[in-house]
Amino acid sequence: MSIYAIQLEILLVILGISTLLTDAFKPAGDKRRLGLTLGVLVGVVFCFSFLLKAQTDTAFHGLYRLDAFALYFKRLFLVATALVLVMSAEFAKRIESGVAEFYALVLFAATGMLLIASVNDFVLLFVALELVTITFYILASYLRRQVTSLEAGTKYLILGALSSGFTVYGIAYVFGTTGTTNFDSLAAALRTGGIPNGAFTFGMLLVLTGLGFKIASVPFQIWAPDVYQGAPTPVTAFLAVGSKAAGFALLLRVLLAGLLPVQGVWALLLLVLAGATLAYGNLGALPQRNLKRLLGYSSIGHAGYMLMGIAAVNALGAGAVLFYLGQYAFTNLCAFLAIVAVTNATGTEEIDGFAGLGKRAPILGLALFLAMASLAGVPPLSGFFGKFQLFAAVVEAAQTDSRYYWLAAVGAAAVVVSLYFYFNVARAIYLQEAEDNSAIPVTAPVRVALWICMAAMIGFGIFQRPLVEMAVTAASVFGLK
Amino acid sequence: MENFLTIAILLPLASAFLAFLLPAKKPGAIRALAIFATGVSLLLAICIFSQFDRQNAGYQFVKSVEWLPSLGVNLKFGVDGISMTLLLLVSIVSFCGALVSHEIHEREKEYYILFLALTTGISGTFCSMDMFFFYFFYELAVIPMYLLIGMYGSLPAGKHGRTKEYATMKLTLYLTAGAVLALIGLLTMYYAGGRTFDMVELKKNLALNGATQQWVFACLLFGFGFLASLFPFHTWSPLGYAAAPTAASMMHAGVLKKLGAYGIIRLALPLLPEGARHWVDLLAILCIFNVLYAGLSALTQKDWKFVIGYSSVSHMGYVMLGIATLNVVGVTGAVLLMFAHGVMAALTFSLIGFFYHQTHNRNVPDLSGLARKIPFIGVCMVMAAMASSGLPGFANFASEVMVFIGAWHEGSFVFRVATICAVWGIVVTATYLLWAVRTSFFGPFDEKWNMLHDATTLKQKFPYVFLIAVLMTVGFWPRLLTDIIKPSVEKHVVAAIDNRGRPVAAMGQTPRLASAATGETRP
Repeated sequence: MSIYAIQLEILLVILGISTLLTDAFKPAGDKRRLGLTLGVLVGVVFCFSFLLKAQTDTAFHGLYRLDAFALYFKRLFLVATALVLVMSAEFAKRIESGVAEFYALVLFAATGMLLIASVNDFVLLFVALELVTITFYILASYLRRQVTSLEAGTKYLILGALSSGFTVYGIAYVFGTTGTTNFDSLAAALRTGGIPNGAFTFGMLLVLTGLGFKIASVPFQIWAPDVYQGAPTPVTAFLAVGSKAAGFALLLRVLLAGLLPVQGVWALLLLVLAGATLAYGNLGALPQRNLKRLLGYSSIGHAGYMLMGIAAVNALGAGAVLFYLGQYAFTNLCAFLAIVAVTNATGTEEIDGFAGLGKRAPILGLALFLAMASLAGVPPLSGFFGKFQLFAAVVEAAQTDSRYYWLAAVGAAAVVVSLYFYFNVARAIYLQEAEDNSAIPVTAPVRVALWICMAAMIGFGIFQRPLVEMAVTAASVFGLK
Repeated sequence: MENFLTIAILLPLASAFLAFLLPAKKPGAIRALAIFATGVSLLLAICIFSQFDRQNAGYQFVKSVEWLPSLGVNLKFGVDGISMTLLLLVSIVSFCGALVSHEIHEREKEYYILFLALTTGISGTFCSMDMFFFYFFYELAVIPMYLLIGMYGSLPAGKHGRTKEYATMKLTLYLTAGAVLALIGLLTMYYAGGRTFDMVELKKNLALNGATQQWVFACLLFGFGFLASLFPFHTWSPLGYAAAPTAASMMHAGVLKKLGAYGIIRLALPLLPEGARHWVDLLAILCIFNVLYAGLSALTQKDWKFVIGYSSVSHMGYVMLGIATLNVVGVTGAVLLMFAHGVMAALTFSLIGFFYHQTHNRNVPDLSGLARKIPFIGVCMVMAAMASSGLPGFANFASEVMVFIGAWHEGSFVFRVATICAVWGIVVTATYLLWAVRTSFFGPFDEKWNMLHDATTLKQKFPYVFLIAVLMTVGFWPRLLTDIIKPSVEKHVVAAIDNRGRPVAAMGQTPRLASAATGETRP
């Protein structure tokens, strides 16, 4: 059982180590092809993951779970990793040295994310979280001659270390008051033990602080715009898609598996945080001129939308968060792929630099436009249905507690605000004329990756059923109503 | 026949996908495809109309496909008298819009893709019997509208320096603001109706107390009111039309705007009768502003498209007034007026597009004596102005009279005042339209317009003749449409309000009035 449960992680580690070995024995030649090969191989691992069956019992003495929820996230991370590797291969020429190590680090971070999907114990939670976070410290500052990249790495390091400290401290309190680190026995203890004492609540809040940092929710969001802007674009994409999804996987697992009996304590807190995050992310994005920075703020805003789903504490909300993360991965990767392709040719990440993209490279223009429209939540794209479900979940919660209507109202306002800055990007793409009208080359792998993302965005936007059913099955492990 | 309806709705979208695959170097083929798709949709709509069972007030040609069982979503299309009328309207306007789009000469491929997607979005909203897809199609218009105006529009620099980018962004933001507001109300109804999006089921199950009904109705009224350009949420509308390319103005002023009013008739009135009672007085007051304020604004405009833009805001005031009456005559009149105004607005905008394409100037005082060079367009414009001012013989007359009768019949002081103001609104309408037509089409001929070409071939004339023919046919024979609208209004809209404690004495007379207005004699 134990080995069966972690075979995907094992495969990724093998891939990572062989990447390092290949680099040691082969001359520094075609790094691009290496990245593409790895991307395809991770894609194969993704397909392989569909052969695995969800398990009901735990592995490694209750540390690890391979349930439907874990499998959903593992697949999500594998797809994201494959596309990030393709993106990295395109980006490789801008990395001065250590390209193979870059790929390997991406793979190791992915391994950490796969572990996170299965976490069932605070101890494994911390180990897996650190595997991801520490890898990202290095990745964020990979362009070592670029000040912005170094700044990004340093900021992420300092704030990340701080939040890790909070997490461990909080885990200690939770363990001290309940005597367990395992989520199942924690839930059982809380169910029988009645109202927890202040020390437990304090510990729980500290754990939430650490997770809040991962998902960039208010008040732990300050790092996001700087890091998103400064980090190498594939790393930014991986942060936005992988690291954020990992944070949400943990948040869902901790809150809905471990701390569900005390939902009265955290649900209202999350409601307030969701509203604040929505407001901060969407208002902060308004004046941005740098596209990556804009997406940094946008990622804060989207954390707010997804927090709406968790704050609602119902089955629809949990499923909606999973659906949202699934489609969000394709949407964001689509945007970042287009950014990498454009920046490779023009060298600018400013929104004005994307002017006339619809003419210069129709496919990039279309991809970036669709990604923006999907982020804004406009049909027929998947972002629309994601938001629809989240709003439905919040309104469902509002049927019993009318305070949730305020959250829905904030979310509705956020949608309108966000439309403005997303469509400003669309305006640059289609409405503005470029000064330099030369065509931007698009390589075949990027083309394929973009088509996959666009097909997913439109496909899941119109035919939502397959992804919804996967998400609902995955969310059903929490047994919510 | 069920499949005919689905095909009529989805064919334009399918053609948009097909056009996406065609090479951009062959704009002729893409244009032909667009005309073909909208033309076939029109034929199918006429076919459905001819087969429509006039004795049956319920939904017909219902086709349902299970879509998302976990949420209770079905892709369910069906038409009753109200949506049948509006489906005809979309088909007519989109077909004519495709025909007059020959003025587009660059990025044709994207243009027709967006236009076709927009068409499906609108007809899908009118025919959806499922609230989820209603909302889905409603929002589907956002992308095409934004890009159509932004990419192909034109806005002569006004005194505020407003650009078409500004106009299209404003329009998009207003539309979305209204949509999300309505969404919260729709979702509340979803839960109160036992987790179903099906409109028929909802009507059976929905149980909301009076207070909740009031605020949910407000969400829907103002949410949809944004799109219906209800005062004070109308400011996006004249600006948006002025900036839009011809076909987009036609679709927007003619049809898209009606989605808002349709949403109120279809969802808000029948499902939230107590809420409706609470808000109608305010709505009637807002309608006065719509009619008179927008009408007076139109008086001060110089740009043809702004004149018509404000005019259409003003006319939506009549539609909303008809809705506010909550009686059969008024609501039937509102639906008929939606049809009449849709065709008329499409006609006017297409005519403006015709000469603006050649003059590149649509400032009324700059144009003079155009009728000498383009008599055909001049004649059509005169007819459009007559229709718009509610002259007998055009569909607008019949529908406006019904709205006035319905509103007067409502009896309360507010409605009496509103009716009087609305009737005066017609005088305002006639004033600015006749001024605009006289100034630019008659009067001394300016030599600089010597280069104008009139519509001479049948191909060029067809869309205008067709739209006028529709207006006059319905104008002379309103029963063609009122016969199907009225039973549905009775069954779906007014019956719900009757059942919940509306004074029966006043309602007892409505059928007679309805018969009088439609020229029907019934024992």
